[in-house]
Amino acid sequence: MSLVEVSNVTKEYANGEETIRPLDGVSLTIEQGDYVSLMGASGSGKSTLLNLIAGIDRATSGEIVVADTDITKLSRGKLADWRAAHIGYIFQTHNLIPVLTAYENVELPLLLLPMSAAERRKRVEIALEAVDLTSRATHYPRQMSGGQEQRVGIARAIVANPTVVVADEPTGSLDDETTEQILQLLERVNNELGMTLLMVTHDADAGSRAKRRIRLERSRLIENGKELQTATLRTA
Amino acid sequence: MHKFIPYVFKSLWRHRARTLLTVSGTAVALLVFCFIGAVQQGLLALTSGDDAGRTLIVFQENRFCPQSSRLPQDYAGDIKKLSGVADVVPIKVFTNNCRASLDAIVFQGMEPEKLRAWRDLDLRSGDWASFSTQDDAALVGADVASRRGLSVGDKFTIGDVSVVVRGVFQSATAAQNNLIFTQLEFLQRARGASDVGTVTQLEVHLNDTADPETIAKQIDQAFRAGPVGTTTRTKGMFQADTLADLAELIGFVHWLGYACVGLVLSLVATTTVMAVQDRIKEHAVLQTVGLRPLRVFGLVLTESLLLSTLGGVLGVVGSMLLLSLTGMSIAAEGVTIAFEPSLALAIQGVSVAVVVGVLAGVAPGWQASRTEIVSALRHA
Repeated sequence: MSLVEVSNVTKEYANGEETIRPLDGVSLTIEQGDYVSLMGASGSGKSTLLNLIAGIDRATSGEIVVADTDITKLSRGKLADWRAAHIGYIFQTHNLIPVLTAYENVELPLLLLPMSAAERRKRVEIALEAVDLTSRATHYPRQMSGGQEQRVGIARAIVANPTVVVADEPTGSLDDETTEQILQLLERVNNELGMTLLMVTHDADAGSRAKRRIRLERSRLIENGKELQTATLRTA
Repeated sequence: MHKFIPYVFKSLWRHRARTLLTVSGTAVALLVFCFIGAVQQGLLALTSGDDAGRTLIVFQENRFCPQSSRLPQDYAGDIKKLSGVADVVPIKVFTNNCRASLDAIVFQGMEPEKLRAWRDLDLRSGDWASFSTQDDAALVGADVASRRGLSVGDKFTIGDVSVVVRGVFQSATAAQNNLIFTQLEFLQRARGASDVGTVTQLEVHLNDTADPETIAKQIDQAFRAGPVGTTTRTKGMFQADTLADLAELIGFVHWLGYACVGLVLSLVATTTVMAVQDRIKEHAVLQTVGLRPLRVFGLVLTESLLLSTLGGVLGVVGSMLLLSLTGMSIAAEGVTIAFEPSLALAIQGVSVAVVVGVLAGVAPGWQASRTEIVSALRHA
């Protein structure tokens, strides 16, 4: 069984009297250790799909199974617990908590897991070392550059050793040089730490760095020029 | 949840001006709340309790201000003969201000042995012997002494009355700490010889089995045909009647106490709502990381609770210190209401702050916990 199985997922929302459907019957599988880039035009639904897989949005219909858990059936509280244990989320705008230091921001996901203080300290130090920011541990977000903030965001996403790391336009607000640093860092996260990575980007160069490159066009997922086959609903 | 307490404190510190204003506003409101509570407790202490119900005060009929009540002192002997009466204490009262005042000085002239027998005075300085043997000696309540800066050996004059302080006392009955006791005869002579043989009131102490109402009727009946008619009431009723106007005012003022609670509620709720609106995206990030909605609710509630409780504790401690140090009182027609700070009032004040803190955080906390993550992340 694949690590992530998205089966026939539809997402609808109302915009006044109009019903918008960014995703309509989309299916996708991601294997353990994959590095997948998801590209597409603005409004194609790529971020929506990423948010559904990350469990911060709800599908209108269909099934999303991550590490054997159908997350579409979880309550809000259970889904939050599941995210704490299984998802590392990298935002485009970093979204660090401004009142917390780099160390405290990275430690945040670990506070939700059953773990001793010593174990937390060890993991935070390893994560900060992985993003080469040990010397900035006591700095607040306002005292760091955009690239450094994003590296703290990546450390926060990987610190709990999640099942899947999702990144929504992680280089969208960075200059070329910093973008390259971040992309290299993401490659290390995938290659050296063995973490499964799903990245949404509109940047073709950034997308080309992934092992699998998928385009989302009008709810059709295209990989290597071929449309991905729609999986059968497991519950059907 | 406790792991997130540093985050809560840091969030409050981030907007320290707003936090400080909210805490200080809450402190002032709770300070006023406790002042109102203290004066209400003082009034309640005067009009309730064993002493208030088992002691009678005989006053001249249809008179109110102590200066206008002139009872023959020998009425005491006639009253003492009544069955059920344990003792009668003649008292001369002089006050520098018959109207309601925050700094009225009330003298009570009593025979020294009766004073010692019927008042629970604990002399903190001075001695009884000096008081008993010196005509113009005075025992000064601790609160008056504190307010006026008086100590043993000091001479002072109020109106036509000049006395020498021969003792400063503390009484468990808070109102008594605002009185000055002199010898009866001294106070009768202090304003000219015309008052010799007359007293302002007679305090009648009853046996355990006596019915106060029956004896009060007997006293008034006995002197109906005498040179001066009397009105006899229990001490509690006498003080309630004397302070009727003031009691009405205090009764109205207690609504201000409720207004203070409302003020704290709206102040803390406004601050918490602002804090939540400022951090819509931040709360969404916390939920993305894995915080349950209920925990986000708890974080907001904790912030609100901290603001209110911190302000409440400051206000309550401030009011208790002020009330204890200044020994404030309000007097009218010779009867004094002491502002009575107490542990119960302090606990009540802090409890109000805690409850208000929780109430103020419920709506914003609910709003923060129910926000859709994706739309909140798009928030600027």
